[in-house]
Amino acid sequence: MTLLKRLIDWFDVRIGAREVVARELTGYLLPRNINTWYSMGSILLFIFAMQMVTGILLLIYYVPDADKAFKSVTFIMNEVPFGWLIRLCHAVGSNLMVLVLLFHMLSVLFMNSYKSPRELNWLTGFILFTMIQGISLTGYLLPWSQLSFWATTVATNSVGAIPAIGPYLVEFLRGGKLVGPPTLGRFFALHVVLIPTGIGALIGAHLFFLQRTGVSTPPFGQKETANQWKGDGYRYESHPEGIPFFPVYALEDIRSIFIYLACFLGVVFFFPNLLFTKEAFLPANPLQTPLHIKPEWYFLANYQTLKIFPSEFLGLAVQGIAMTFLALLPFIDRDPERHPLKRPLFMVCALGGLLLWIGLGVWGHYS
Amino acid sequence: MHLPGKVFALLSPLFLALLAPLPATAAESPEIVCIQCHSAMPGRLGEPVKLWKGSIHAENGIACNACHGGDPKNAANAMSPARGFLGAPKETAIPAFCGRCHVGVMRDYLASAHGKALGKGGPTCVTCHSNHHVVKASLDLINEKNCSRCHGFERARLIRDAMQETEGMIVAIDTRIAAYKEEGTDTEGMQKGLFAVRNRFHTLFHNVDAAMVKKESAGIQGDLRKIQNQLTALDASRQKRKLAGAGGISAMLLLALFAHLLRKTYD
Repeated sequence: MTLLKRLIDWFDVRIGAREVVARELTGYLLPRNINTWYSMGSILLFIFAMQMVTGILLLIYYVPDADKAFKSVTFIMNEVPFGWLIRLCHAVGSNLMVLVLLFHMLSVLFMNSYKSPRELNWLTGFILFTMIQGISLTGYLLPWSQLSFWATTVATNSVGAIPAIGPYLVEFLRGGKLVGPPTLGRFFALHVVLIPTGIGALIGAHLFFLQRTGVSTPPFGQKETANQWKGDGYRYESHPEGIPFFPVYALEDIRSIFIYLACFLGVVFFFPNLLFTKEAFLPANPLQTPLHIKPEWYFLANYQTLKIFPSEFLGLAVQGIAMTFLALLPFIDRDPERHPLKRPLFMVCALGGLLLWIGLGVWGHYS
Repeated sequence: MHLPGKVFALLSPLFLALLAPLPATAAESPEIVCIQCHSAMPGRLGEPVKLWKGSIHAENGIACNACHGGDPKNAANAMSPARGFLGAPKETAIPAFCGRCHVGVMRDYLASAHGKALGKGGPTCVTCHSNHHVVKASLDLINEKNCSRCHGFERARLIRDAMQETEGMIVAIDTRIAAYKEEGTDTEGMQKGLFAVRNRFHTLFHNVDAAMVKKESAGIQGDLRKIQNQLTALDASRQKRKLAGAGGISAMLLLALFAHLLRKTYD
């Protein structure tokens, strides 16, 4: 203990470490009625860090060349010590990252925490959501399997439905008329450099906005549930009677992360092929189209939406409008009330939208 | 405080591009002209298409032109001898016709009693394997109904019984390899090994010497056991992974419980 204390003292006299801890950890107070849903952000930070670590480890053996990519992934899965574990952690982690992100967004939505002055928190979070989808889509191609090749072919095809620029955009994304080696190079660069850098920057912005606005108080168990901020000046939402982030809420975060890890390991060790079809283990063959290529579960609703509209452009436009509406929700929804049970119309719309998304996904899966 | 329309307009295409949803169906490869014409024809001209669709050839993408030649992309010249169209072979030419691909099988057949009787009332390939509804070669082809069309079934039964166990082993190993392949295990070595052993085994299919079939089958089973051992090692490795996984999950749940109890001490 003496050594530890001396080490802390050493830092304290140089950078004022105790002051930082008192202000940002032990003195950082959170609302008393905070709930487990607030841990989703911490779980997401943990998942993102894990995706970075497993991704870097995969880079040691992965070869981003159309002739070698599939073999290098097979080598990782079968020959590299614990390569199978690292690859499965990366693949399962990417899916669970989307799932936890959806939980995080839904909790913010239903607790109405997106309302002013937190428009920027929501907007950065929403852009993060689209970037996570983007990083998943680009990562899907990298194993260069039948599944990745044809899923990318149909995914990039749909961009062609955008009027005027569509065909050029398809060619730009693919690096040619068809999915091929240049597409792999582009998607690889996007997946390992461009999108992760963007995600890192947006996470920084998201946390900065959280730091500046303060943590929102959950609307449950409160007498006054209307939004008190009038837009007349900057205000930090403090919680003088709250609980300290460290060690109290940090322990709740850690508990949630361990529960997540138990679920995650359950999939990795007991249901490793839950997210793979047999086409995922066949090398890409541009001359042989598999019968039924389906997108990842989180794109199934988009996939089905395109099928039910008479034209692909209409399907894309409807999705674009829906996504833009969601992105701009804090600017559209100006009602100060935050308790979901006091907002029946909002609840009906939100639950209806969620059920529609799930229904379209299930329909897409079985169609 | 409302967002200006410009930002809305700028963001919409961004979301459209980033979401990149997927279209309804994947493209299907077009049918060759042989199938387009013959499938619409009545009687014996249309029948081969129906039969072929249920065959091992269709399953493996071996279409009409692979055997009969011709140009499958040009309706006008599809049956032109200048484009390599061969039509249907005469009875004595059938082994050579099939043997263009099944070289080893043709050699085994010609060396057998069946092959030696070619043109003298003996069976050709299509007698047992059918001409268009060609099914995967298996011991099921050696049956009383088939064999007794020409001779008694007694000796054929002896041969089939000697091969039955080996066939069962091959089928079981094949199924296990396929299951591992479908979950990403590198089965190439085992597949090649099984392919070689299966080919050796299939050379016995046209042999009518029961003693030799028994002797060869024993050797083949030895090689199959080597592949079985590799699969058993894979089973054991997967079992170990599950045990490690169960340990990891238990550790995580215990740590979660510990964090929860520690948190309670601060209430």
